[in-house]
Amino acid sequence: MENLPILAIMTLFMGAFLNSLLGRRSRKVGNTVVFIAMALALGMMLALIRPVFFEGRTICYWMGGWAPDAGWAYGIGLEVDALSLFFGLIVTIAVMVSGVYSFTYMARDDSQVNFYTLFLMLSGAVLGLVLSGDLFNVYVMVEIMTFSAVALTAFRNDYDGALEGAFKYLVVGSIGSTSLLVGTILVYANLHTLNMAQIAQLAPSHMNATMVTAFAFLFVGFATKAFLFPFQPLAADAHAVAPASISLMISGVLTKCGVYGIIRLTYDLFQNISESTVSYLVTGFGMVTMFICVTMAFNQHNFKRLLAFHSISQVGYVITAVGLGTPLGLSAGLYHAINHTLFKGLLFLVAGAVQHETGSLDLDDLGGLSKNMPRTTALFLIGAASISGLPPFNGFASKWMIYQALFEKAGSTGNFFYILACVVALLTSVLTLASFIKVTQSVFFGQRRAKYADVKECPAAMRLPMWILAIFCVVLGLFPEQFGNWFLRPAAGAALNAEAYAAQMLGGSTAAAGAAEYTLIGAWQPIVWLLLLVLVCCAMTIVAVSGRRSEPEPLAEPDVEDEQVLPENAKYEPFFSGEESHYSQVGGSDLFWGFKENLKKYFSFWHDWHSGIVNDYALYGVLCLAAVLCYCAVFL
Amino acid sequence: MTFNYIAAFFFIVLGFYCMITRHNLFKIVIGMSVVDYGTNLLIVSIGATNGGTAPIYTPGEIHPGTVFVDPIPMALTLTSIVIGACITAMALSLVIKLYERYGTLDTREIRRLHG
Repeated sequence: MENLPILAIMTLFMGAFLNSLLGRRSRKVGNTVVFIAMALALGMMLALIRPVFFEGRTICYWMGGWAPDAGWAYGIGLEVDALSLFFGLIVTIAVMVSGVYSFTYMARDDSQVNFYTLFLMLSGAVLGLVLSGDLFNVYVMVEIMTFSAVALTAFRNDYDGALEGAFKYLVVGSIGSTSLLVGTILVYANLHTLNMAQIAQLAPSHMNATMVTAFAFLFVGFATKAFLFPFQPLAADAHAVAPASISLMISGVLTKCGVYGIIRLTYDLFQNISESTVSYLVTGFGMVTMFICVTMAFNQHNFKRLLAFHSISQVGYVITAVGLGTPLGLSAGLYHAINHTLFKGLLFLVAGAVQHETGSLDLDDLGGLSKNMPRTTALFLIGAASISGLPPFNGFASKWMIYQALFEKAGSTGNFFYILACVVALLTSVLTLASFIKVTQSVFFGQRRAKYADVKECPAAMRLPMWILAIFCVVLGLFPEQFGNWFLRPAAGAALNAEAYAAQMLGGSTAAAGAAEYTLIGAWQPIVWLLLLVLVCCAMTIVAVSGRRSEPEPLAEPDVEDEQVLPENAKYEPFFSGEESHYSQVGGSDLFWGFKENLKKYFSFWHDWHSGIVNDYALYGVLCLAAVLCYCAVFL
Repeated sequence: MTFNYIAAFFFIVLGFYCMITRHNLFKIVIGMSVVDYGTNLLIVSIGATNGGTAPIYTPGEIHPGTVFVDPIPMALTLTSIVIGACITAMALSLVIKLYERYGTLDTREIRRLHG
């Protein structure tokens, strides 16, 4: 049992090397190796559920048998408590889904050996990060992770912008890595230990100027890895150009490492989340991130770039909830974290399927694909409903918890800041829904261009992983109370009980961390909402089937000369008068033209802010680091 | 000793400055390396002791009063140097590919992804 965590990490790394050795001759052998490695890692994580979540144990493993002596940790250790395992499960499930999807999705690419080697290195690094009990190992794993992610982003290097996205990711990501290393070494300078349990024991009583600086550096390092504002341009660039299965990994898994790091840092290592200044810092970052990213998503014309901004916006939700420091807030954040991996992964895989079949990701160009790809459309609708927070899907359940947590915090403190956070969270959810209506309209409904008439449904092997994610999306939304009892409460309890975290690792006691206590407002019944949804769908189907069909005129390819004759804004008239929509060239991306026109200044400011010049992004990163350092120096 | 810390943070800031102000891709990579060197200097300085010897156990040379330097930061520096070299190699290979594709090394012209 104690060996399982290290074996799971080693399996993935060994898989990477074996794939390089055996996969060159035949792709079948290589794929088998990759599949076995992923399945073994997932199986080991599943095997840990019972002792860690249900029996409340913490699994500790000391490399080379260097167990702590007299309460002082000398060796390098792995510590798997409920929080680590929660993220470990997210990672291994996402890796499994992404890998299975890649088998078909990447089948047309060459040098697949390198792809899967890097893919398994990435998976192993991420798993190593969340299970590690040693701060320097966290840094090393972050570096391996960033490396593989950069290489995989540039994997299709003939794809327009792939190299550019990878280079920006590497340069600005290195600011975050440096911050992590400097923070780690400053902690070592003060406490003379790198073991996280030992740090948790010593840090609160040894706070001084150096430790505050270390906290600021570590926080910015993890924020970079979670792509919080102002690092979101990296995510947008990298997601848009990476293969879809890698977009899933970046959004579903890499950002989670940042989230995990921030939780560990503020709840366990420094235990300062209960101070209101730290809470403001974390929640403030989350709030700004979620609002700015969702408004940026409005402007996008590339399917995956749009999804990328939404992805970071949802991470903003997670961070906002985590920053509250209450058991309910943390549980809500964890719940939204796993939901984010599921629905965002689903949406990225759908985007990949569309790209695989049509070769395009341009929202202005695509349209009417629901006729060609009905099953993919159904999957997309599930994902879109989940991310927009429509009941009874999982996005609603976790957002509901986040609102409740914000509300309670605002109520108990009476602080204007948390009231504002609550309003921003609600507004962001509305904007997310609006944005996904636009995507649905412009990709799957609306009118189809003649060149897409022969598009086929994507292969079943690609739909299988998507269905798994979709089923998870529904199941997690239907049973929030049970999921909370089994997984969220133990995980949140482990994070909140820093003494138990330290004591179990250092052998002082074996006291269980216990579960976090919170009560949900039972104002809504998921099953009833599901029935309502089914009823509405049935009614709509009956109306659609029985009603008279009017075949729309096929959309002609745009004629350049005609377009020039059109008066200003003629393109948008159907959206105000409702006439002539039959012959309109309006793509779905102009659905919110009026809204955008009124807030033109705001949108163009942020559009120009994302200048695409790597120097600017580095400047934002360094300014952010400087700002956090100043904030911590003044207030902590 | 204080001088070491000042120099370390000076190099880190200098590297950041280089990354922010230089528009040539190679100079950005150099800036990243300078940041790495600064970090390494910081790590070594934290482990160093005035008059300390190498932390290797040699029979006969050890007597009461011998001061060792802290070996852990040395190990960390080695790891950090290796990682830094990898970052540089990776970044340079991307620069070569970028030049082949865009025909320029100016960051202001490499901005197809923006907005």
